Amino acid sequence: MLSAEAKRKLAAVVGPQGYLDQPEDLLLYEYDGGVDKARPEMVVFPRSTEDVVAIVRISKEYGFPIVGRGAGTGLSGGAIPRMGGVIIGFSRMNRILEIDLANERAVVQPGVVNLDLTVAVQGDQYFFAPDPSSQKACTLGGNVAENAGGPHTLAYGVTTNHVLGLEFVTPDGEVFTTGGKEADLPGYDLTGLLTGSEGTMVLVTKVVVRLMRQPEMVKTLLAIYNSTDDCANTVAEITARAITPVAVEMLDGVMLRMVEEATHAGFPLDAAAVLLIELEGLSEAVLEQVEQIREVCLACQAREVRVAKNAEERDLLWKGRKNAFGAVGRVSPTYYVQDGVVPRTQIAPTLRFIGQTGAKYGLTISNIFHAGDGNMHPIILFDPRQPGDLEKAQRAGEEILDYCISVGGSITGEHGVGMEKTELMPHLFTEETLAMMRRFKELFDPEGRLNPGKMLPTGRGCLEIRQPALGPSSIVY
Amino acid sequence: MLPPQTVSPDSPEEFAAALRAASDQRRTIALFGRGTKHRMAGAVPAAEVNLSTARLTRVLQYEPRDLTLSVEAGIRFAEVDQLLGEHRQMLPLDPPFAGEATVGGVLASNTCGPRRRLYGTARDLTIGMKFATLEGKLIQSGGMVVKNVAGLDMAKLLIGSFGTLGAIVVANFKVLPRPQVERHFLLSFDLAADARAARDRVLRSVLQPQSLDLLNPAAAARMGKSGFLLSIQAGGNRAVVDRYQRELAALGPLSEVDPNWTARLREFTPAFLEEHPEGAVVRLCSTLETAPALLESPAPAVIRAGSGVAYLYFAEASAAAAVLSQPKAILEFSPTSRSFTAELWPSPGADFEIMQRVKRMLDPHHLLNRGRLFGRT
Repeated sequence: MLSAEAKRKLAAVVGPQGYLDQPEDLLLYEYDGGVDKARPEMVVFPRSTEDVVAIVRISKEYGFPIVGRGAGTGLSGGAIPRMGGVIIGFSRMNRILEIDLANERAVVQPGVVNLDLTVAVQGDQYFFAPDPSSQKACTLGGNVAENAGGPHTLAYGVTTNHVLGLEFVTPDGEVFTTGGKEADLPGYDLTGLLTGSEGTMVLVTKVVVRLMRQPEMVKTLLAIYNSTDDCANTVAEITARAITPVAVEMLDGVMLRMVEEATHAGFPLDAAAVLLIELEGLSEAVLEQVEQIREVCLACQAREVRVAKNAEERDLLWKGRKNAFGAVGRVSPTYYVQDGVVPRTQIAPTLRFIGQTGAKYGLTISNIFHAGDGNMHPIILFDPRQPGDLEKAQRAGEEILDYCISVGGSITGEHGVGMEKTELMPHLFTEETLAMMRRFKELFDPEGRLNPGKMLPTGRGCLEIRQPALGPSSIVY
Repeated sequence: MLPPQTVSPDSPEEFAAALRAASDQRRTIALFGRGTKHRMAGAVPAAEVNLSTARLTRVLQYEPRDLTLSVEAGIRFAEVDQLLGEHRQMLPLDPPFAGEATVGGVLASNTCGPRRRLYGTARDLTIGMKFATLEGKLIQSGGMVVKNVAGLDMAKLLIGSFGTLGAIVVANFKVLPRPQVERHFLLSFDLAADARAARDRVLRSVLQPQSLDLLNPAAAARMGKSGFLLSIQAGGNRAVVDRYQRELAALGPLSEVDPNWTARLREFTPAFLEEHPEGAVVRLCSTLETAPALLESPAPAVIRAGSGVAYLYFAEASAAAAVLSQPKAILEFSPTSRSFTAELWPSPGADFEIMQRVKRMLDPHHLLNRGRLFGRT
């Protein structure tokens, strides 16, 4: 429990308009985009690194957990206070501190919204490459914590490939900077270690990112299939023919219909699956690849291949893709999205397994995912008001992730382990490896105050206790 | 080149056991692959145990249709290059010493070359790793899929750690299809400012060359050329590469060079070191904006002008002092003689304190590759 004294001290740091502590306000911070819930005792909104340091020092003095949070769009429970305590909301640290096009860099505070950075530089023909579907809302601090991806990671890599430096606050309240605008600095790559550490080791207060030059030409294609297998096999065939799209997204029939009803993007309602393929680069390369892609899709039994004629058509197709999760809300009260990864050649059998798993549990599972890099997003539809439905959805999700592991894949490609998949980590990593990750966590956070109960097994199952046992403040509905 | 009584275990498990045995007896350990970079990042003084990955040479998995590769750390980079080439694929790191260097050594030193502009470094292309610790444990980071955020990305720490934290024993990569056509162009200028301006125009254009290097006249002379050079490698289909030729020709006097040019540029450092046993190489991490100023250096300068990393070559190591005093400079390759005592990494940042904590956690008795990491560990 957070003492009244600690609360007073926190309030003094951020001022009367800088915190929330009423139950009706705290409710909004008990969840993210995933299915888990845990309510904070207080939410504070620092305006500066100094504020963050002061908050962290109070946490140290009184021994309560702290959890960093950007926009709360995460899908693995990364930004909810599993063991109670205080949420540090970064929404007021939302300034782009510097845009340095001559050096292809920007320096930002963690609360800057992902898309706002691209908007700030697109007039000069630059962009920030990581583009999670939530990019209109999600923050760069959250992107760094989760090492976020997006459709275009196929060509440009995930967040870690675009982060060159960090300023961060340790759980002891020390401030460090690591990396910088310069590439390939000597010494251990702390930036690389901390990016994707899911807010369990430090709180990031400044980020140096890479900006990229916009391509000359972009072409977006929609390939329509009567068979999911044919659609999936096209992905492997594109790779085999050495064609290099910047994004290859797949939507199955269930998803198509939900998306089409919500966005009217022009997706065919009767298809079994479609591929949304984007090509970027010099016009000479893109125009040739459009024809190569058309040829591959038709060779793999696509019934039709459409090329977006202009920017509006292209934006409409992407709107359908990026707003897909919202579209699900029209059909199902809620859903549970998974994030397993498989080698690209295993997409077709993995989709078959997902279909069988849905049938086994009597659940509808739709698929919309980054096919180009094998990053599956099965969306399991369920009704939390039906007793047992959430548990069934979670079991189905776990079986799908175990299948991904069995074909050489991983349990998360971009959403993070969060609190959702902690107990699956031992399926993927050995005891020794998990122990080593824990030692790194403890090196930075020996008292376990920073985002406890995330990323590493908690020992709730049959495993040995790995983190302090869950406290009473954790609520899982 | 290799120290006497070098032990080369046959498997990652045996490698981990050998590390543990040495550590249990508190014996100092020199860790290396084939020893190509013994002058790099500070020499390791004679150690009590010499451990090499040279016999960890298996290809564990290569699935061209998945564009992924898993190899043991002691395999030669050249062998990997050849294997991938048979499938028209590539791991475009361009490390120096490419003929003999091992994959593990390339990662531990985070060496790369001209194509760094387009494809990044080992940091960007490594998707998984197994490393052995002094406790004899094999630790896994990442896996065999191209996108994976499960757990801490510990591989990032090992890349560029020069064997001071543990031993990389297995590395997994994402590989890329090789472009249909690759061509190599040179723009040569009388003035550094003109070379820089041409580089700026390429950076601001829609062109995405694989490499973009600036050489000053002293470096150009070593390559048998004259003037300030902007060296560009371009890949793609024929029409794309023809366009590079057209657009680059508009920037200045353009010539085309044979593919061997880039290989020689990649091996610029090894060739210099061989000629100059008492010479030294300074690496300066600078920005795109500030790097071209180094073209004025009287010493040969090769600048990765698309990333801002510059290499300066000194026949006499003592002449390196001035440039080494700049922030973010390191003496990357030292003279052979042990009498050389300059600071190799004069100005590490405040975060070095955290690096030391990491080092102490993994090597509390300071046994691994003493003196490496530029004399700082």
